[in-house]
Amino acid sequence: MANRTDPAAKSIHGTNPQNLVEKILRSKIYQNTYWKEQCFGLTAETLVDKAMELDHLGGTYGGSRKPTPFMCLILKMLQIQPDKEIVVEFIKNDEYKYVRVLGAFYMRLTGSVTDVYRYLEPLYNDYRKLRLKLSEGKFCLTHVDEVIDELLTKDYSCDIALPRVQKRWTLEACGLLEPRRSALEDDFEEEEEKEEEEQAMDSVEDDTHEKNYYRGRSPIRERDRDRRRDRQYRDRDYERDYGRGRERDRDRDRDRDRERDRDKDRDRDRDRERDRHRLRDDRDYGRERERERDREGRERERRDRERGRRRSRSRSRSRDRRDRDHEDGDHRKRRTRGSVSPRRRPEDDGSTRDEPKKKKEKKEKKSDGTDHPDPEIAEANRLRASLGLKPLK
Amino acid sequence: MIEVVLNDRLGKKVRVKCNDDDTIGDLKKLVAAQTGTRADKIRIQKWYNVYKDHITLKDYEIHDGMGLELYYS
Repeated sequence: MANRTDPAAKSIHGTNPQNLVEKILRSKIYQNTYWKEQCFGLTAETLVDKAMELDHLGGTYGGSRKPTPFMCLILKMLQIQPDKEIVVEFIKNDEYKYVRVLGAFYMRLTGSVTDVYRYLEPLYNDYRKLRLKLSEGKFCLTHVDEVIDELLTKDYSCDIALPRVQKRWTLEACGLLEPRRSALEDDFEEEEEKEEEEQAMDSVEDDTHEKNYYRGRSPIRERDRDRRRDRQYRDRDYERDYGRGRERDRDRDRDRDRERDRDKDRDRDRDRERDRHRLRDDRDYGRERERERDREGRERERRDRERGRRRSRSRSRSRDRRDRDHEDGDHRKRRTRGSVSPRRRPEDDGSTRDEPKKKKEKKEKKSDGTDHPDPEIAEANRLRASLGLKPLK
Repeated sequence: MIEVVLNDRLGKKVRVKCNDDDTIGDLKKLVAAQTGTRADKIRIQKWYNVYKDHITLKDYEIHDGMGLELYYS
């Protein structure tokens, strides 16, 4: 009788809320002494007191799969179904971290998708330590933000199967959520500004470097590019405050121009010419001219090479990033050593990069046994490989 | 390579191919892949002996074609 759900309670995800915890586990909790003694006749208020006494998280432990008090309280909450305001209070409370995690877990089980993201994501900023009971019965250390990450990304936690939530970008695409603003974004912006300052010395090479950044056309890159563009517009405010002035304006204009005329080579070249002229006016004229000559020659070679490369190679994301990184390295090296012949290096790397990859793939296939003549055994070996086991003998 | 039969007497009967130096934990993973339950929910028994995860099939003297009982925890 004490185990029946409150008759006034709504059904969650189309079922009796207690059914979110599966049958065997539920029976284990009903037979548990903590449930029988402490969780009898609990209401929302007295539940808070019990929650404050919690000192560890966990699922079931031991050979007989004994549930933790955390699980018992979760099932109690499912049984009495507190209001959303109460759950939000649990989450917002700062003092008791286990109460917070209890509220977050309950919200993850019962809340709608937007609610889940909206209330759980601020908890990413909570770095406090938590005690987690493992299935062997030992304790281990974890943190609040780790637990929240597990709740949002995995679909199984503390021995309870979590209801499915859509991925964040799906919701962003539908317009139900705003793109995520991380608390670390301000730190990243500062770092980026510092980087840009250093590279402002070689801002012509910076051109092509940033251009590679923006050239990607895949949708994921699009999203990143949008985010970077947003960050740039936010940069504008920062820069106004710091009064870095004309150089920064020029960079920004250059970026904006570049983005607009992305597809046209000629326009990009025109921009670069224009900027180079502008730079020449500002900087030390003699020094600039010396470097200019070297740089122009190199630029032209690199431009031709990139154009050719872009057309011939298929664009895979990792390879692009590697290209970019390589070009970064090239930039920095070239700055110090002026007279290295640039043509050889990227092509060499391109060819050697492909070969080790192919060799590795071949080796993996052979040791896996997935190319066994008997199809059943090949299938079994494939399954074993996916689980991380050695092939059948 | 041996083939073990696991039966839960409620309708699930599963034949699993494995090596004799696989542990019970590995066997549970293979069974989970075939039945769809989670590996940590499975309990493999023989009469009242619950088989432990870290011991190999060879040490438990599980031979080819032998039947084991499948329970859930």
